[in-house]
Parts: sequence; structure tokens; C-alpha cells
Amino acid sequence: MAAVLASALIALCIITSHASCSDPKRVSPNVLRFVTWNPGHPEVWKSIIAEFEKRNPGITVIREFGPSSSTSFHDMLAQKLRNRSPEVDVFFMDVIWVPEFAAAGWADPIDELLPPAEREQFLPGAIAANTCGGRLYGVPLFIDAGMLFYRSDLLRKYGYRPPATWQEMERQGLHIVREEARTGNDICVFSAQFKQYEGLVCVMQEFILGNNGRLFDPETRVPEIQMPAAIEAVRYVREHIIGRLAPRGVLTYQEPESLALFVQGRALFHRNWPYVWEIAGDPRRSRIAGRVGVTYLPRFPGGRSRSTLGGWQLGVSAFSRNRKMALGFIAFLTGAEIQKRFAIEAGRAPSRKELYRDREVLAANPQFKEMKTVFLNASPRPRTPLYPAVSDALQRYFSTALADPDASVEEEAGKAADRIRWIESMMRRSRAQ
Amino acid sequence: MTAATKKTGARGHASEEVRFAALLLAPCLLVALLFAFYPILYSLYLSLGGTILSLPGSERIFMGAENFIELFHDTVARAALAHTLIFVIVSTALEVMLGLGIALVINRSFRGRGVLRAAVLVPWAIPTVVASQMWRFIFNDNYGLLNYVVFGADPSSFQAWLADPAMSFVAIIIADVWKTSSFAALIMLAGLQMIPDELYESALIDGAGAWQRFKSITLPLVRSSLLIALLFRTLDAFRVFDLVFVMTQGGPADATNVLQFYGYRKIFAEGFLGYGSAISVLVFFVSCAVCVFYIRALGMKMFGADE
Repeated sequence: MAAVLASALIALCIITSHASCSDPKRVSPNVLRFVTWNPGHPEVWKSIIAEFEKRNPGITVIREFGPSSSTSFHDMLAQKLRNRSPEVDVFFMDVIWVPEFAAAGWADPIDELLPPAEREQFLPGAIAANTCGGRLYGVPLFIDAGMLFYRSDLLRKYGYRPPATWQEMERQGLHIVREEARTGNDICVFSAQFKQYEGLVCVMQEFILGNNGRLFDPETRVPEIQMPAAIEAVRYVREHIIGRLAPRGVLTYQEPESLALFVQGRALFHRNWPYVWEIAGDPRRSRIAGRVGVTYLPRFPGGRSRSTLGGWQLGVSAFSRNRKMALGFIAFLTGAEIQKRFAIEAGRAPSRKELYRDREVLAANPQFKEMKTVFLNASPRPRTPLYPAVSDALQRYFSTALADPDASVEEEAGKAADRIRWIESMMRRSRAQ
Repeated sequence: MTAATKKTGARGHASEEVRFAALLLAPCLLVALLFAFYPILYSLYLSLGGTILSLPGSERIFMGAENFIELFHDTVARAALAHTLIFVIVSTALEVMLGLGIALVINRSFRGRGVLRAAVLVPWAIPTVVASQMWRFIFNDNYGLLNYVVFGADPSSFQAWLADPAMSFVAIIIADVWKTSSFAALIMLAGLQMIPDELYESALIDGAGAWQRFKSITLPLVRSSLLIALLFRTLDAFRVFDLVFVMTQGGPADATNVLQFYGYRKIFAEGFLGYGSAISVLVFFVSCAVCVFYIRALGMKMFGADE
């Protein structure tokens, strides 16, 4: 009996010590732990990391892959940082997490990595997104902004130029789809992301901004989703897009599903991030390779074309024991040389300005030249440490307004605005403590 | 058990046995205290505060009943509670009925019964996350099996099932019923097997029809295991989370947002420990109420059959 008990205790000790952080193999001065999502171009990543290890002999980079959905990745990473895990040195941050990670003390300030002159080399919006209270918490690696992809062959066939307004897109689209249906080509006008998730906030913000509205006033910190301009834009999507220009199925679509519709040749216009260019042009993954164009997102009459700012930053964990090495790794990845490789080999839009003039980058991504202004003008989502809660309220509002035919848009907007005001009040209260 | 020993044995002997019983029960009690009571009390404590994980300083806010007042006024939470209750009632009722049917079938002896019994249990053995993913594919608007079965190969009439608020809620119930009916069946099969064959034989001799045999023999005798299945399924259905997480993320139009998913979002995604814990406390009390209801209404029949 005693022997059994003793061996059970020993087993328990082994299990717990294995799971704890004291295992020398898991946290060591020569091992850099990089928490990332599963990248789209594994071979590019592999060779870039091998290059870093070659230039820094003795250092091993261990990548820990999280879910590719931004929200799930956030939950996993936040859990690790909340537990002050030393098993995270460098991590990817979505652009919306920076205020949260800074306020919570999870991301370490890394101002010394980018002196003012070096900071000038980056797109200003991307640097601003990484700055909180005057300090820098991350270095942007990829930048994202919403764009309109279209079937250049079909627009040409019917003599149209890429649409400047949503109404123009609607007119062109309905005409082309009608004509194409006669020849047996079953196609829809528009595909985008309207599922109840983070992407819905990005997409809907673009509609609202394009109508001179806003989600949130960053100065007074008051939600503006109840303003007429915002309501009007939501109403347009509800009445003209869902189930009319786009199949109702888009209410369940994130990026991959909506992209599938486009690259299968079953949608005329498609709203997505820059990575689509590379996929849509690849004959192995796309039926419309060579027949794709890209332009600014449409606007409403009297509004301006605006895109939501997205993108991924590299941050250093405040609980890392390898800070110096982590900084070296970030400097390497965000340097011009490696960003250029990511742009050419993976079609990722770089965060350094100079690369938008680089001949080789533009040869691989001719759309970058014109799109630079989109990146320069991209609009951030509401900046707050409680962004996940604000986003939850917005997602619920937009999804209800679009998917539930019985819902009143004004009423739902009012509920979401109340919720956001409550979240803001919680922030003021904890600041007052 | 202790009452029985008191009646038969000497007092000193009895108290020694009581002490021994207490000693044997202690580890179990300790585990329950540590892993059940402590978390519940801690949730209660957290629900009185305003801790937000990403806001240092917020852990010093004292909210008192404020979280609960906010929760009471929170239309989203109220809708989630309603969704949860409807889900529990509908899915449990369907599962127990379907489970009884399955149990009756696999209780009969026929060739290949062993294979069928194993096959029936397959849905229950599949991890819920995998099953949910499978159902998400089945309901898909482009390549889903359901569309193919209903509309054939004509994609123009395909429906986007999960894009419709009411239909997506039905989809989650269907997935749950598919997954756990066999669990209910398993419990009731055990009950069925305890019914002696002689009863049916004599009923046959007396000329009772199939329905009469079911109504007068099977149903009364299987009742206690039916109630156990009902209790298990109800409490389990309250914890519905993974189906929603994988299939719909609470959407569209928040139609599939259930309390557990809402609480998860608050605590793990948004870091609102205080408010999220208030939701957990609410779930706890609702489950408690259900337990009390079952024990009050059915407990006598379930455990007191011999008295």
C-alpha cells in the first residue's frame, strides 16, 4: 500500500515538474520562443527563420503555433501572458490588441528598437497603431487594409470601369450578373465577410466611414453608431447587399469562405485584405488567375473611400527572460531585407515605406504602387484597452441588423451604444482607482 | 448504512465504524471541497468585484450587487438565458425520447446486435468539437450534404442554413440530439436489461399486445433509468458550449448565443472577470434550481421505490 502511494506521489511530482517552467529545455538563454499563427507560406517562414539561426549561431527559434483566427489566437496568447508565462518571448499582435497589451503590462515597451530616424521609415499609421501613451509596444511587420478585388475580364467585356461608389457597383453588378446568367454563368455580384466575428467590424466600419460616419469618437470617447450616417450605411448593407448582391450565406462567411466564392469564379466583386492578390493570381488555387483587378473600396455618394487598418505586429513579452535576443529577432524580421522577401514570396504588404518604390517588390505586386495611399489612409478601429468587449458589442449589433429581418437597426444600435458606454465607464472607474 | 449498523451493533462498535467511514469519505470530500466548492465560492467573490484583466487597478473596484443589476438589465444575457433554457428543454426531451427508441431496438436479440450496439454509440464517442465541425460542413451553403439531399445537384436553390437565426438554432439542437441520444439510450438500455423476461412471457400468455406490454411492463420498470437519463442530459445540456463555439460563434444575429458561451466571451476573450463571474453564478443557481426541482419532483420515485 505504502509503496503504491509512494510511487503515485513520485509520478505526480514528475508530471508537475514536467509541466512547470523549470524544465531547462523549455526556457533557456539560447532558445527563443515565438508564438505565431500557422503562416500561409510555411516554406518562406522556415527559410527566413533558418537564416536568422544561421546569422546568430547558438540561438534556436521555437515557433509555437496558435489558431489562425485572430480572436482565438488572442484568447490563447492572452491566457499565456496573464499567467506570466516565461515561455513566450516574441509574439504576433493584431493591430487592435496593442492598447490592451500595453495597459495590461503584457507587452514590453521597445522604444529603443526604433530610434526616431528609423521610425520614419515605416508607414505612419502602422507606427501610431503601435504607440500607446507615447511609448512603442510593437513593430509592424505586415500591414493590411480592405480592398475591392474584381473580375477585370467581365468588367472589360461589358465596358465598365471599376466602380467608385457602392451604388455604381450595384448597377454594374446587377447588369453583368443578369447578362451572364443568360449564357449559363451562375455568378453573384459581391462577396465579403459578414459572419458574427471580428471581420464584421472591419467590413462594416468601411461602409460607415465611406458614408462620412464613424464607429467611435476618439476624443470624446463616445460611440457614434447611432448617428444618421452610420445607420444609413448599415441599412444599405442590410437592404441592398445581404441576399441581393451577395448570397445570404455571406452571413456565415469569414475570409476563406468569401475568398473561395471569388476564386471559384462565382463572384464579380470581392472585399478582402491584400493577401488575396497572390492567391487569386495563382492558377493552382484560383480559376480566375490573370482575370483579377484590385481597386479602392467603393464609397457612398458624398463620402470618401476608406479602408479599415489591419496588420500584424511583433511584440516582446514583459515576462520574457530573453529580451535582448527577442529584440534582435524583431529587428531582423522587420528589417527591409526580410520584409522584401515576405512581400515578394508571400505577397504580404510591407510596413516600410521604401519597399513600395522597390522595383522587385512592385514587379511581384504591381497593385502595391497604387495601394500605398490606401495603406497611408487606412483607419484604425476604436483604440481602447477594452477593445475585445467593444468589438463584441459591435459584432452583435451588426450581425443582428443584417441577419434578423425583424430587428430595428436604430434600436440595436442604441443597445450597442449603451453597452460601449458602460464599458467606457468601467475603464474610467479603474483609472480612478 | 450507518442507521443499519446502529440498529444491529453495539454503540462503541458503531462509532468506530462511523469514524472509519468518515475516514474513507474524507479524501472524496476534500477533493469536492477543493475542486467544486472552492471555485464556486471564488466565482461568487469575483462577481462582487470589477476586475478586468487588461486594466491594472480594476481589481480594487468593489461592485457589490452592481454586476448582477447590470446583468439583470443586460438584454443580451436575458436572450442568452432564454436560448439556453429552450435548448435544454427541447434537446433533452428529444434525446430521451429518441434514446428510449434506440434502447428498445438494441435491447431485442437479433443477428448483428453487437455491431449495432457499438454503431449506435459512435456519435457519443466522437469528440464534440469534431462532431460540431462535421455538422457545420453538413449545413454549409455551398457544399453541405443537407443541401444536396434536399435539393439535389442544383446549387441555385441551395439554402444557407446557418445564416438564418432560427434555423441555426435548430441546427445546434439537431447536432446535440444526434450526438447524445445514444448516451441516453445507453442508460435506458441498462434499465431495460434489468426487466426479467418472465414478465413478458406471462404477459404474452395472458394475451397482452405489444403496446400493452410496453405501457404496463416496460415503461414503469424503465422509469427510474429514464429519469436518470433525463437528469444527466438536462444538466449536461446546460453546459452547451462547444457546439456553439465551433458551429456559429453565437451568431447570426446572436441567435445561438447561450449563457456559457456569453460567459466564456466575457471572461476569456474580454477579461471581464467580475461580470463574467456574475454570469457563472447565475448559471450555477439556475442549475441548482433544476437539480432541486428534479430531486423534489422525481427523487422520491427514483430512489424511494422500495419504501
